[in-house]
Amino acid sequence: MGNEAIARGVIESGVYVVTGYPGTPSSEVLMTIQEFGKELDLYAEWAVNERVAFEIGLGAAIGGARALVTMKAPGANVAADPILSSAYSGVDGGFVVLIADDPGPITTQTEQDSRWFAELSKLPMITPSNPQEAKDFVRIGVELSEKVHLPIILRTTTRVNHAVATVTAGPIEKPRKYVKFVRNPPRFVRAGMSWNRERHAWLLNQLSRVEKVLEPYEINTVEGLGDKCVICEGIAYEYVKEAMNDLSEGVKSLRVIKLGQIYPLPENFLKKALKGCRKVLLVEELDPYLEGKIKSLAHDEVLEIKVFGKMEGLLPRVGELTLAPVVNAIRTFTGLEPINLVSKPAEEVPSRPPPLCPSCPHRNTYLGLIFALLRLGYRKEDVPIFGDIGCYALSVNPPLNAIWTEHSMGASIGMAMGLKLSGFKGPVIATIGDSTLFHAGLPALAEAIHKRADMLIVVLDNEVVAMTGHQSTLTWGRTERGRLTKPLKIEEVVKGMGADEVVVVDPYNIDELINQVKRLIKKPGVKVLISRAPCALYASRLYGVKKRYTVIPDKCKECMACIKITGCPALYIDEDHKVKIMLEDCLGCGLCAKYCPFNAIVEVGKDEGN
Amino acid sequence: MKVTNILITSVGGQGGLTLSRTLAIAAVLDSKSVVTGETLGMAQRFGSVVSYVRIGDEVHSPVFNPGEADVILGLEIIEVLRNIHYLKRKGLVLSADELKPPISSSLGIAKNPRKDELMSSISSEVTELGGDVIFIPARQLGMEAGSYRAMNMVILGVFNSKFNLLSDLSIEKAITQLLPGKKGDISVRAYNLGKDFLNR
Repeated sequence: MGNEAIARGVIESGVYVVTGYPGTPSSEVLMTIQEFGKELDLYAEWAVNERVAFEIGLGAAIGGARALVTMKAPGANVAADPILSSAYSGVDGGFVVLIADDPGPITTQTEQDSRWFAELSKLPMITPSNPQEAKDFVRIGVELSEKVHLPIILRTTTRVNHAVATVTAGPIEKPRKYVKFVRNPPRFVRAGMSWNRERHAWLLNQLSRVEKVLEPYEINTVEGLGDKCVICEGIAYEYVKEAMNDLSEGVKSLRVIKLGQIYPLPENFLKKALKGCRKVLLVEELDPYLEGKIKSLAHDEVLEIKVFGKMEGLLPRVGELTLAPVVNAIRTFTGLEPINLVSKPAEEVPSRPPPLCPSCPHRNTYLGLIFALLRLGYRKEDVPIFGDIGCYALSVNPPLNAIWTEHSMGASIGMAMGLKLSGFKGPVIATIGDSTLFHAGLPALAEAIHKRADMLIVVLDNEVVAMTGHQSTLTWGRTERGRLTKPLKIEEVVKGMGADEVVVVDPYNIDELINQVKRLIKKPGVKVLISRAPCALYASRLYGVKKRYTVIPDKCKECMACIKITGCPALYIDEDHKVKIMLEDCLGCGLCAKYCPFNAIVEVGKDEGN
Repeated sequence: MKVTNILITSVGGQGGLTLSRTLAIAAVLDSKSVVTGETLGMAQRFGSVVSYVRIGDEVHSPVFNPGEADVILGLEIIEVLRNIHYLKRKGLVLSADELKPPISSSLGIAKNPRKDELMSSISSEVTELGGDVIFIPARQLGMEAGSYRAMNMVILGVFNSKFNLLSDLSIEKAITQLLPGKKGDISVRAYNLGKDFLNR
C-alpha cells in the first residue's frame, strides 16, 4: 500500500521523529511503522493534533534530526500557523510533511486541494504517482529539505495512499537524531519585523534553487514527441498511461509530461519540455491548479500553446478523477469521439451507508439524549445537537437522526456557544469524542466556561480514536510502541478548567444517562457529561464477545421497535417478516432486548454465532 | 498485454479487503504486475465496500471503468447487484449466495429485498451481457473449513479454479502471511474447498 511504502521510505531515509494525527487517507504510515518497526530506534507516536505534530517535527529538524509528520488535508489547516512560520526559519535536519488529499471526497469534509498550501506557505512540494514513488519521494524530500533548508511537503491523494502495488525496497539508513541547535534570533524569532523581511528574502532565494537541486532526481519526465501534449501529476499520470494503452495511433504519439515537482513550478524543465508543442491538456485531480500555472507560463514565455483542462470543461471539477473521464478527455482533445460509458443499472438496490456498529456506545448516548429531551417535553426539532468529527457523526443517519452539524475538528462546542449567545432561547447540546476534545475542543471548552455559556457538552469517550483504525489517545497509559505515558483524565482536565458540573456516566446504563441529561440540561453554565464505554468493536477484538442475543420467533409480534429504536445492523427482517439477529454480528449490548415490548429478544451464549 | 480486472464487492467486515490483499500478494509472489484500489478508513463496517484488483504484465491505474471487470467476486448479493454494471460483456460473476439486508431496508426506507429476487436479477443482468454467474454456498463451505469468516477464501478458490491466474503455492503463502496461525489454516482449507467446488 502507498502508505506502507511511505513508511518504508521513512525507515530507508534515516528519519528519527515520526508523528502526526490520524486521518484518512494518511493514517497507515505511522501505524505501519508502529506495527512493523518495533525493533527500530526511532520515535513513532501519535500527537494530540496536527499542529502539535508539526511543531514536534519542526523542533526536531531545527536541531538537525530528520523528521516526518503525517496528516490529512484538513489537518494541514490545523497546522497552518506553524507551517507558514517554519518557511522563514527553515530547518537543518530533513523535514517532510505528508499532506494527504482526498478527492471524491471519500472520507473528508471538503475536496481540499492542498497544492495551494505550498503556494501559500512557500514550501516546496513534491507529489508521487504510485506506491514506488511514494517511497522514493520520502528520501528525495529529506535530501531536498537538507539542501535548501526548508520543510518539504509530500502531497498525495487517496488513490496513491491506498493503492497496493509492487514496491522495490532500498537499503535502510541509520536514523539521524539531534545534531546541534544554536541560538540565532534572526532565524528563529519571528518577533523582529526586519528579521522577518530578511528571512522572506532568504526564503525566496531558497525556492529559486529547488528546481536545480531536484534535477538529478528526474522526478519531472517527458515521454513522446508529439505536438499535442498531456501534462499530469500524481495518480492522474497512471490514468493517462492506462488511457493511452488502448487508444488509437493518434493518441499514442501524444507527448506526456509528468510533474513530480509541483511547487515551485519547474519552469526551466517545462520550457524545454513544451518546445514544439501546440496544444496542452492538463489532467490533474481537484482544482485546475497546474492549468492556471501553465497558462501563465505560456503567456509569459509567449508560447503559442492552447491549454485545455478543467477550466474548459474537458474534465470535471467536482469529485474524484477516474479512468473513464480521463479516457474521454484525451479522446476529445485528440479529435476522437468520446466513448459511451456504461451507466448505472436501472435496478433499484437498497443503499447501505455505514451505520454505527452493533453495541456501539455512541448509539446509547445519542438515544439517551433524544429520550431525555422527549421526556422533558421537547420535540426533537427544538434542541440542536451539535456534532463533531468521529464515528459518532454516523448518528446523523436514520433511525437516530441525531446530530445537526459536523464541520471541523472541535467545532461542536464553539458553534453551540455561538448559537446560544446569539439569542437562541432553548437548550443547546454539543457532542464531541474524546480524541476530538483533546485535538481542538479544549480551547472552545475554555471559552464556553469562561463566558458562562449555558450548554450541555457530552463527551463521547470510547477511549480510542476509533474511526481511523483505533489509534491511541491521551488517556492511554502506554502508546502503541509501548512508551510509558502519563494518562490524562478527561474529568480532571474539564474540572480543572472550571466546568460548572462534570458527570461521568456509562452509556450502557441508559436509564442513568437519561436521568443525568434531564437533570443537567436545565442547569445554568457549562455542564459536561462524559459518556464513557470502550469502542465495542475494539473491545470485541481485544477481549472477545461475552454474550449475544437472539429473537424467539413466536414471541416477535413484528412491531419493529428494536429496529426503529436502535438501527443496529445486526438486526434484519427475515422473509417471514419477523426480526432476526445475525448472531455473528451481535456484540451483546442488549439494547434491542431492552426495548422489545414483548420480551422476544433473549441472551444466548457467546458461541452461538460461530 | 492482457490485464485481468477483478472487482470484489462486499459488506464492510466480511473480508473483502483481505481477499484483495491476498490476490495482490500472490500476484507479487508470481512476479506479475498488480495494482489494487480500495476504499479504506472511516467506519466502513456494514457499509458497501468495493475493491479493484488488476493483475497483468503492466498495470498502471488502481481502478477501472464500469463495463471492464473480467470477473466480479461477490461476498454478498446486494453488493453484487449494486456493482453489476462493472461487468464486461461475457464477464463472469462468482458470488456467495449470501444476503445481508442493510439497515435501510429493515427501517422501511428501502425495499426489503428477497434473496431469490436478487439472485434472479443478477442472473438476468449477467445473461444480458452474455456472461455467466455462479452462486456459491460459501458460508457452508467456509463452515466446513472451520469458520464462516473464510467465505472470502472459498470465493478465491472458485475464482482461481476458473481463471488459473495464480499458483496455489503463492496463494497459500499469501494467505499464511496475512493470516498467521489457525485462521490461516482455516483459510487455506476454505481456498481448497473453493477450488474443488466446481468439480463436486
